[in-house]
Amino acid sequence: MIRFENVGMRYGPGPEVLRDVTFQLEAGSFSFLTGPSGAGKSTLLKLMFLAEPPSRGLITLFGTDLATARRSVLPALRRRIGVVFQDFRLLSHLSAFDNVALPLRLAGRKAEDYTHDVEELLNWVGLGDRLNAKPPTLSGGEQQRVAIARAVVGQPDLLLADEPTGNVDPEIAQRLIRLFGELNRLGTTVLIATHDRSLIERARAREMRLVDGRLVELRRA
Amino acid sequence: MSEKERVRGRILPREKGAAPLDVVIAVMAFLAALALGASMLAQRQAEGWREGLSGRLTVQVLQPDHPTATRNMQSETKAALAILRGTPGILTITEMSDADAEKLVEPWLGADAMVKDLPLPKLIDATIEPGAHVNFPELEARLKTVAPDSNVDDHTRWIARLQSLANTIIYAAYAVLLLIALATAAAVSFATRAGLEAHHDIVALLHQMGAHSGFIARAFEWHYLVSTFMASAVGAGFAAVTFLLAGGLEFAGVEAVPFLPPLGLNPQEMAWLLAVPAVSGAIAWATARLSVLAALREIY
Repeated sequence: MIRFENVGMRYGPGPEVLRDVTFQLEAGSFSFLTGPSGAGKSTLLKLMFLAEPPSRGLITLFGTDLATARRSVLPALRRRIGVVFQDFRLLSHLSAFDNVALPLRLAGRKAEDYTHDVEELLNWVGLGDRLNAKPPTLSGGEQQRVAIARAVVGQPDLLLADEPTGNVDPEIAQRLIRLFGELNRLGTTVLIATHDRSLIERARAREMRLVDGRLVELRRA
Repeated sequence: MSEKERVRGRILPREKGAAPLDVVIAVMAFLAALALGASMLAQRQAEGWREGLSGRLTVQVLQPDHPTATRNMQSETKAALAILRGTPGILTITEMSDADAEKLVEPWLGADAMVKDLPLPKLIDATIEPGAHVNFPELEARLKTVAPDSNVDDHTRWIARLQSLANTIIYAAYAVLLLIALATAAAVSFATRAGLEAHHDIVALLHQMGAHSGFIARAFEWHYLVSTFMASAVGAGFAAVTFLLAGGLEFAGVEAVPFLPPLGLNPQEMAWLLAVPAVSGAIAWATARLSVLAALREIY
């Protein structure tokens, strides 16, 4: 599914944020990415969801070697990835419903085909009564749940989440993790970057830890 | 809430009220439409001048220095009239009376009795059949055989001068139109780029979610085409109202500056003002498309 080989990343002339990162994510796996702040978790996720090219090393995504892939194939690869951004990145002028429906619109699906699915998903994350609310009127936790719903609505092949439970209470956090688990059982490969130890302990999944830009395998599933 | 009640959100936010740049575009479109209208008026006026003078000739029979029984202005005028009548291509011939000739010099010399003593020439005004060719040097030569002190004025000199004046006005109007069109294009292009800058996060997010460049560009193209077209249409609309009012004032008998053409535009000319919002919209469309595609090329 995903393979990193000796991947290094630096921004401009600065120091390397990631060094010789090598790992593989099997299709259908569920993993956690941990590490202190500034260790490079967000940068690693950026490389995985194709926001940045690596400074060196090889990345293979869905069987495609990114070093040799043409630009024109990247949008199709990106559509197979669901991302929960740490800062949510919701479109503030669109309703919760429209934000969640965005990946389906990009995939060319018609409103009448996805309306029911989107409503059901927003109900599941506890926002059934906030379908038409715009992000600025939602609390941080509610925005996070909209962001998660948007990432999972298209049943992506790969789900990458950056601190997805940072703003919600423990009960909702468990509910969201169950949602990720459900998606994982349906075949989605899931990688969650988090600081939340209780979440990791309860899920008992694979854990990779980033320390000073280097990846350490702590636990295999 | 049912599916039908929910309005599907637009990818780009709709700005509330007129943004300052929309106002700039509307003002530039107003000026561009005024310049376009003025250039059409100048064109029409120049053609009017040319049509008014071409197709006419004036024969001037001067008083001989020493009139005799055989050589006097009356008999020479009569002979000249006979030659003109016999010339193919001449449509009408009018001999100007002495009173009319005096009226012509009145603005310069006054209406004193002294004017009557002046040896004013006899003037014959003739019109030429449309499309007919009259050989003026040959006609003049024939007239000189019966009236040696006569001459033929085909107004070529006047037409050439008026034509050159009209051309100057037309080219000046075109130059102003071109400058304003350039400024409008720059304003539209600037507004579009500023808008794109403001929506950069949306472009980046859509790109990240796997939207094709074409999809993102279309969202922006359509947005800026519509908003620019609307702003320019308001500007051109105000210009159209201005021309209508100017035309209406003349119709009501308020005389405009003498020598200036009528300031009202006919319906056909009015239709040309639609070109202003159409061209502005096209510029916005192209700028938005090129800017979005360029911005996307810079993102991985």
